[in-house]
Amino acid sequence: MSTQVPRKRPAATTSNGHRRQVSLATLRRDLPVTAMTATGTLAMRLRDLTGREVIDLESLQEVMSLAYRIADVRSKHQAGEYEVDEFGFDREWTEMLLPIFRLLYKRYWRVETTGVHVVPSTGPALLVSNHAGVLPFDGAMIKVAILDATERHARALVASWFGGLPMLSWFLRRTGQTLGHPDDSLRLLDAGELVLVFPEGVKGTGKPYGERYRLRRFGRGGFAEVALRAGVPIIPISVVGSEEIYPMIADARPLASLFGMPYFPITPTWPLLGPLGLVPLPSKWRIRFHEPIRTDEYGPGSADDPSLVMRLGDEVRDTIQAGLVEELMVRKGVFRG
Amino acid sequence: MHARYHHGVTAARRRILITGVSRFWGGHLAQRLESHPDVEEIVAIDTMGPTVELHRTDVVRADIRHSLIGKLVRSMDIDTVVHTALIVDPQRSGGRSVHETNVIGTMNLLAACAGADSPVRKLVVKASTAVYGSEPSDPSFWSERMTRKAPARDAFTRDLDEVESYVHEFSLRKPEAIVTLMRFANILGPTHDTPFTRLFDLPVVPTVLGFDPRLQFLHEQDAVRVLEHAVLNDRPGTFNVAGDGIALVSQAISMMGKVNAPILPFIGAGPVMFAINRVLPVNFPQHLVRLLQFGRVVDTTALRERFGITLSHSTIDTLREHARERRVRKIVRDQRRYRYEADLEEFLRARTTSGNGHGANKSDQPSVVLPPSSERRTSTRRVRTRVASKRSNGVKP
Repeated sequence: MSTQVPRKRPAATTSNGHRRQVSLATLRRDLPVTAMTATGTLAMRLRDLTGREVIDLESLQEVMSLAYRIADVRSKHQAGEYEVDEFGFDREWTEMLLPIFRLLYKRYWRVETTGVHVVPSTGPALLVSNHAGVLPFDGAMIKVAILDATERHARALVASWFGGLPMLSWFLRRTGQTLGHPDDSLRLLDAGELVLVFPEGVKGTGKPYGERYRLRRFGRGGFAEVALRAGVPIIPISVVGSEEIYPMIADARPLASLFGMPYFPITPTWPLLGPLGLVPLPSKWRIRFHEPIRTDEYGPGSADDPSLVMRLGDEVRDTIQAGLVEELMVRKGVFRG
Repeated sequence: MHARYHHGVTAARRRILITGVSRFWGGHLAQRLESHPDVEEIVAIDTMGPTVELHRTDVVRADIRHSLIGKLVRSMDIDTVVHTALIVDPQRSGGRSVHETNVIGTMNLLAACAGADSPVRKLVVKASTAVYGSEPSDPSFWSERMTRKAPARDAFTRDLDEVESYVHEFSLRKPEAIVTLMRFANILGPTHDTPFTRLFDLPVVPTVLGFDPRLQFLHEQDAVRVLEHAVLNDRPGTFNVAGDGIALVSQAISMMGKVNAPILPFIGAGPVMFAINRVLPVNFPQHLVRLLQFGRVVDTTALRERFGITLSHSTIDTLREHARERRVRKIVRDQRRYRYEADLEEFLRARTTSGNGHGANKSDQPSVVLPPSSERRTSTRRVRTRVASKRSNGVKP
């Protein structure tokens, strides 16, 4: 042992050491490829042995591409040389995180989307959806569906309450969301963006499990007014499955008011299991895009007609409610199908 | 160069009063206006001497809180008043004196300019976008017609409210006057020392944990250009002034090549920043700590369309240029700082202006009454004699 130590030391400091560094660098460079090949071979062997997919190569590939994108985007962000739009939306960063949400979309909730072709590939539109599930995962899933179909980022409007939350406030802004202020939605629509709104707001996400899939009041029809003012089509969306991700059995009002939250959900797992209770349940989702409702025929000034605004709002609400019932009939079970 | 200003009031040459000439805004504005042929007279007023080189501006060392300001305006026949003395960065002065300058100074200045016999036809006020406050529930873009919903969180914002209300009152009391209120975003640049330049000079920049708000910056050159544009053109109304686009706080910090340290808690960030101010040379005022948490973005459509100016630097450009400039600053320090040599200035001015138009009618004008001796700016004659006596005592040429 005593003879080994002096032999190693010069090797690390002289030209030998230099060569070792180079080989390390090559090893590091080649490691991902080697690992990929190895996993691929392993996956094939296991499939041959067991007769079914043990290692899901497709998901693995997505995880790998995520790691690469994170490294790529991070190097750019370290220099500060990137552009966010005036709302704070960072396209590159959002698309970097997309594999995670795609995994949720495809594997976890197995979302089945119908009618997404009605979303225009250019020009503005106001997307209106039902809202459920304590945390706004439904928004994320609708966005993934639209992005995969049209390569466009729908911009969701969130409750101003989220602006005061640490982490979530910047995450939402950075991924393209903005506050539910009429000026914001008009500005986005004028810029030709797709705007996604949840007129139920927190009343939708915070409703008890027993009242699932029963739409709440659609605010005061502000979304219809915005659509009329901008003259953009309204696309109603029905989302089934989001109600079951966090079945809310009670609302701890005193706790909610203590933390200044609109509601404090009690689910079978939260807050009983602590952070584990934050894991959403793997319900089966269906998203249905309805035919667009045109608003440009009403002409200017129609936005100031309250009866028209209410009528249009009700029409959208009825379409979404009917779509929910139809989709629920198609769905085989809460987790199956 | 001056051909780009097409304004209606060319018949009468401008006689301009600028407040706050010792600071960046007033000094640089005076410097720019000096080269303009339509500007007949520039009177600059401040309690301290200017920090930039001025050639034909008459510097009056007086406090704008002094009631004699009305007399100055009338005797000098001032038609345009540019109020730039508003202090946004209370580094040099304590809270009390900031309030005195901002509120009492503005009140007194506007009262002096408002009377029926006042020759003032135009008022340009430098205000701040800080008047919109910074709350999580704020709209994403503040337009000029919007007002803050929450009450003022700090003394500075409260002062701003008061300043703006005085300006509004002035426009009511003197409806024939053109009143331009400019709300400026935070500015960055090589010469101006602001809380944000000091913050970005730190090797490790403290930010609020869990928040990465949107900010806007304005390049200092653009800031002065906008003020100049407001003086030389008639643009009544309120305008937001900020560089195009936005930057995230984290983005700004990485552009500066600094380390982002989210050490300010999201509840009680103010007191922690107060403690940091004690230890580090940032002196970051309280009203900007909320900005670090919730940010603020103003809509500048009116500036582009109604005011009619295109800024040379966007928010990102401003940050990029500031970062470049600061990298050199480490090596070449403070080269361009100008020291105001009062006596020499006065002497040169007396010598050079005695021959041309500016100095010729000077003696015809009624003399300006100045505050008591300690604050008095020397008259031309006194300087000349003093310099002459110095020369006679000195070495012979």
